[in-house]
Amino acid sequence: MNFPAYRALARCVVLESLRRKDLWVVAILGFVILLASSTLGFFGFKGLEIFAKDMAVTVLGMFSTIIAILTSCRLVPDEVKNRTLYPLLARPITRLDLLVGKLIGAVVVTWISFLMLAALTALALTIFHVKFELIMVQYLLAKMLGLVVVCGFSMAFSVYMTPSASATVAFLVAFGAPMVTRGLVLAAAGNPSLTPICKIINTVLPQTSLFDLGGRAVYLGWGLVPVWVMGFLFAYGLCYSGAMLFVSWLKFRRQAV
Amino acid sequence: MSKVGTFLATSSVAVAAVMGASTGSIRDEVNPPIKLVGLEAHDSHAAASILGQFRTSASSWLFLHADLYLHNGVEMRPLTDDEIKRGRKGVGSNPNEQKLHDDAKIVTVVPSARDDFRGIFGDVERTTTSYKDMTGHSHNKPTDSLPLFRLMTLLDPQFVQGWTTGSYIMLWDKSEDGFHKALAFLQEGLKHNPKSIDILTEIAASYLKERNGARDFDSAIPYLRRARTVAAENFEHLSEEEREATLKNYRRLAVSLRELQLLGEERAVVIEGRKFFPEDIPLDRFWRVLNGEIVSDAEINPPSVIKLVPGGTKPASEIESKDAQQDSHQEEAPVRVKVRFI
Repeated sequence: MNFPAYRALARCVVLESLRRKDLWVVAILGFVILLASSTLGFFGFKGLEIFAKDMAVTVLGMFSTIIAILTSCRLVPDEVKNRTLYPLLARPITRLDLLVGKLIGAVVVTWISFLMLAALTALALTIFHVKFELIMVQYLLAKMLGLVVVCGFSMAFSVYMTPSASATVAFLVAFGAPMVTRGLVLAAAGNPSLTPICKIINTVLPQTSLFDLGGRAVYLGWGLVPVWVMGFLFAYGLCYSGAMLFVSWLKFRRQAV
Repeated sequence: MSKVGTFLATSSVAVAAVMGASTGSIRDEVNPPIKLVGLEAHDSHAAASILGQFRTSASSWLFLHADLYLHNGVEMRPLTDDEIKRGRKGVGSNPNEQKLHDDAKIVTVVPSARDDFRGIFGDVERTTTSYKDMTGHSHNKPTDSLPLFRLMTLLDPQFVQGWTTGSYIMLWDKSEDGFHKALAFLQEGLKHNPKSIDILTEIAASYLKERNGARDFDSAIPYLRRARTVAAENFEHLSEEEREATLKNYRRLAVSLRELQLLGEERAVVIEGRKFFPEDIPLDRFWRVLNGEIVSDAEINPPSVIKLVPGGTKPASEIESKDAQQDSHQEEAPVRVKVRFI
C-alpha cells in the first residue's frame, strides 16, 4: 500500500482532467439539465414533481456513467500513447501502484462531476419547489459506490483494448448488464437446468443496477434502505473494483511499454 | 475533451432546437389523422420520420410511465407466452378496485425471492429498488398520473391514446366537473385529430354515460355520425384499434338512433355496419329487431338494459368477448334481446 504514490497519481489525474477542461463538459451538461427543467416549467409543474424527480435521477445516472467511462477508458492508453508512462514508472512505484492511483483519480474526477451535476439538478428541482426525502442522501451515496464499479471495469477494458473499443464495451456492459440479468432470471425460470450457467454469468456481470436507488428516491412512501444493504453495496463495490484492478494488473504487469 | 467537443455539443443542441421548432409543418406527414396501414406509413420524409419517431417515443415513454405512477414506482411486465403456458399467474389486483387495466397477466419486473436464483443479489435488489410483493395490489389514484397525460399530449398532440386514456381517467371523477374536464380534454384532442375515430367515439361515450339519471343521446349522435363518416371513407386504411372503435361506433349509433326513434337512419347505419362487420352478432340482432324478427328489451325498458363501458381498455375488450360468447350461447333464445353497449 503506497498511499503517497496513490495520492500523487490521483492528483495528477484530477489536474489532467482540469487541464483537458472535462469539467466544462460537466458544466454544459448541467446547463442542459437546467434548460430542460425550465422547458418542463413552461408546461406547468403542478403534479409533475414525481416525473421531474424521475427525470432528474435518470439523467444524473446516465451522465455520470458516461463521464465515469470516458474518464477511466483513456487513462492508461493515454499514458502509453503520450510516452508519459516512462517517467512515471521510473519513480519508485510498481505497475500495480500506478493502476491503483489511476483508478482512484478516475473515481475522484467522476465523483466531482457527479456531485456537480447533482448540485445543479437539485438547484433546478428546488426552483420548482420539489421536496427531497432523506433517501436522496442514500441515493447519492449508493450511486457514488456504483460509479467506482463502472470506473473499475472501464479501466480494465482499456488495458486489454483500444480506448474506443473499451469505451464501447464499457457502455454496453454498464447499460446492458441489468437487461442481461433480467434475461437470465427469465431463462432460469423457464429452464431450471440453466440455473448454474446463469449464476456464473450473473456473478461475473457487474451488478450496477443494485446501486440505483432512484426508484425509491423518486416515488413516495418508500423507506430508507437498511444499513446492512449499504454495507453490502460498499463491500461489493470494493471487491468488484478490486477484482477488475487485479484483471488489469494481470495484463499490464507484462505489457511492453 | 476539446473545444471541438464543446462546439459539437452546442451545435447539436442548436440544430435539435431548430428541427424541433420546425416540426409543426411536418406534423401531418409524421402523424396523419388516419394512420395508413402498410408500407405507405414509411413513405414519409426522412426528417419527418426521425422526428416523428422521437416524439412518438417520448409520448409512448410517458404513457408507460403513467403505469409506474399507478404502481408507485414498482415496475411491472406482462407474462411471456412461455410463462402463461407453464401456468404462471399474474399478481392480480385488489378486487375492490375499479379495474383500470388487466393485472391478471402482469408480474413485477424484479422477480420475487421464490422466482429468483440470484440469492443475496436478488435480496439486495429487492431492497434497493422500488419493489414490493404486488399480489392483489392496490393502485395509486389514477388522477395522480393526469399531468403526464397533459404532458404527452402537449409533446405529441397526435398521440390519440393519450387523449382517450386521459379522458377516461378524468371520468373517474364522477362529478359534473370531472365530466366537463374530460369533455374539454377530448375536444382539444379532436382539434388536433379531427379525423380520429377513437376520440369521436370517446366523446360520444362520455355523453352516453348516465348523468343525473339520463343519457344525452342528442349530444352524442353528431359525434357518432361524424365517426361513421370518417370510418366509412377510410375503412381500408384503419388500424385494428380503429376498426374496433368503428364497430363500437356502429353499435352505439344504432342504439342511440333507436332511442330517438330515428329508425330510418338506424336501418342505414345497421346495413352499413353489417357490410363492414358481417360477423358481428349485436349488429345482426339490431337488424333482426328492425325487421321485426325479434323484440328488443330496449323498446320495453331502455335505461335498464344499456350498459356502458368506456372503450379502449382491456377490460372493455374482455367484456366484449364475454358478451360475444354469451350472445353465441343465446343464439337460439327467442324474443328478448339484451343490448349491451360497448
